[in-house]
Amino acid sequence: MLHLPTRISDWLLLLVTTQRSVAYLLIDQRQALAMSGGDLERHGLSGLLDGQQATEQWPFLEGLLPLSEAPFLLQSVGMPSGSVADVHFLVDEAGTWVVLLDVTSDHDEARIVQQKAYDMTLLSQREARLMRKLEAAHADLTVAHRELAESRDALVQSHRRLERELRDAERYVRAILPPPMTAPFDVDWRFVPSTELGGDSFGYHWIDAEHFALFVLDVCGHGVGAALLSVAVTNVLRSGGLQTDYHRPEDVLGSLNRAYQMDDHDGMYFTIWYGVYHHPTRRLRHASAGHPPAILVKGPRETRGEAVRLSSPGMLLGVLPSTRYESEECTLDAPARLFLFSDGVYEVHRPDDTMMEFSELESVLTAPVSADRSELDEVLHFAQHTRGGPLLEDDFSIVRMTI
Amino acid sequence: MLQKKVCVLGAFGVGKTTLVRRFVESIFSEAYLTTVGVKIDKKTVRVGSEPVTLVLWDIAGEDAERSVRMNYVRGASGYFLVADGTRAETLDVASSIQGRVTAEVGGLPFLLLINKSDLQESWDIAAGPVESLERSGWGVVRTSAKTGEGVEEAFHELTRRMVS
Repeated sequence: MLHLPTRISDWLLLLVTTQRSVAYLLIDQRQALAMSGGDLERHGLSGLLDGQQATEQWPFLEGLLPLSEAPFLLQSVGMPSGSVADVHFLVDEAGTWVVLLDVTSDHDEARIVQQKAYDMTLLSQREARLMRKLEAAHADLTVAHRELAESRDALVQSHRRLERELRDAERYVRAILPPPMTAPFDVDWRFVPSTELGGDSFGYHWIDAEHFALFVLDVCGHGVGAALLSVAVTNVLRSGGLQTDYHRPEDVLGSLNRAYQMDDHDGMYFTIWYGVYHHPTRRLRHASAGHPPAILVKGPRETRGEAVRLSSPGMLLGVLPSTRYESEECTLDAPARLFLFSDGVYEVHRPDDTMMEFSELESVLTAPVSADRSELDEVLHFAQHTRGGPLLEDDFSIVRMTI
Repeated sequence: MLQKKVCVLGAFGVGKTTLVRRFVESIFSEAYLTTVGVKIDKKTVRVGSEPVTLVLWDIAGEDAERSVRMNYVRGASGYFLVADGTRAETLDVASSIQGRVTAEVGGLPFLLLINKSDLQESWDIAAGPVESLERSGWGVVRTSAKTGEGVEEAFHELTRRMVS
């Protein structure tokens, strides 16, 4: 026990009572208030009644009495008045003493310090969470980017393989095309497949010593499937694989129509212009199944010629089994040039999305051509110029027979 | 009248004081004011026809430097553990406090309140740990002191558990 001079102990008592607003309660064994005093008003406890249950008058005491240990201190307790007190519990033979010492100013200072510390901690925790989310998002993005790159590589590989297959198919289509010929008359052609490979094909051959067959066909759609069908039809026509009279174009088209119904060929149909030229008489018999007309240009190459469209009615081939075809006839008086072509020669879109007219093709074909140039190249250049570049939307196929 | 001491415990900044204010005064404030020591409030609720006065001890939150003083919890009839749904680490603090209360005071009725349910877009507590606590017998209520979601229900449920 610290023995202090009376002067000092009195001064300390004065200091505590004046600065700490001391108040007290005495609670008896029945938990009733035996007495109270001091600065009770400061703590919001004025009006307490002796003899009444303490916990009913000050609910804070609920559960605390009787004390399980003493002395006992509860620090920084918010009081009914709004002040803050340290609450001391002491026990003696009279009962339980509850002593209140005001610590409001200490509490307020501590709260300011604690508030700043917690604000900083919450901020740093929020920052850490944000960083974790950013890192997680970055990791997800990295994975997504890698997967995307792998998908892109796979797509590139797939695209390259498809391109190789398309080019293989293009080489095969080109391989079955007949070579240009010069006797007894001149036949030449230009074939420029589109990047996707269309369904164009053409051919010409002698049926017998006097009859010369020539045709152009165009299978709907693009790609290897269309090319396969066009090659199949070309081979059938060239090899005479149909049970028909190859001198009669209308019969040939009818036979083709029955043999190549779209229901049996993956929904594909095609157009064809087929003609048979009788060389001794210069008579041309021709038929069409929904194909653009051939153009006969009369007159010498060096002067502007006269264009005659050689067309005949006929539905697309492969659509209806019962379709019948008709043929037309004309004489090819020399000098003359017969042009067979697919729609890719003139259905060319300009950059402004307008389309080349058929009459423009006729104009190019009838224009005078010098001896060192070919109408076929002129038409190709005109189509590419109209398109605005060398790549065309559709297969470009044109055959010229010169009489 | 039946009177019960209820402690509100948890990490700092989880919303203990705002939950009590929402329950007692139906007031919500966005401002965060830290609690030092303990604030005492009371409110009477009814369990069936019986009025029960809850003496609410809103005890300063636990942080890295200071643990909850267990002498504050003595004499309590039940308690709330409050966690902040946007701060996963506060669930660990709640779990730790529960262990210490059980060791010091014994098994009392309690509920875990996962507060700030209005901030779903910032939610940080995974379902797994909460489900695990529920399986082990914890009562869990999602609350929002801001919207009032779950607050009344939680206080009534704890009261019911304390008087039954």
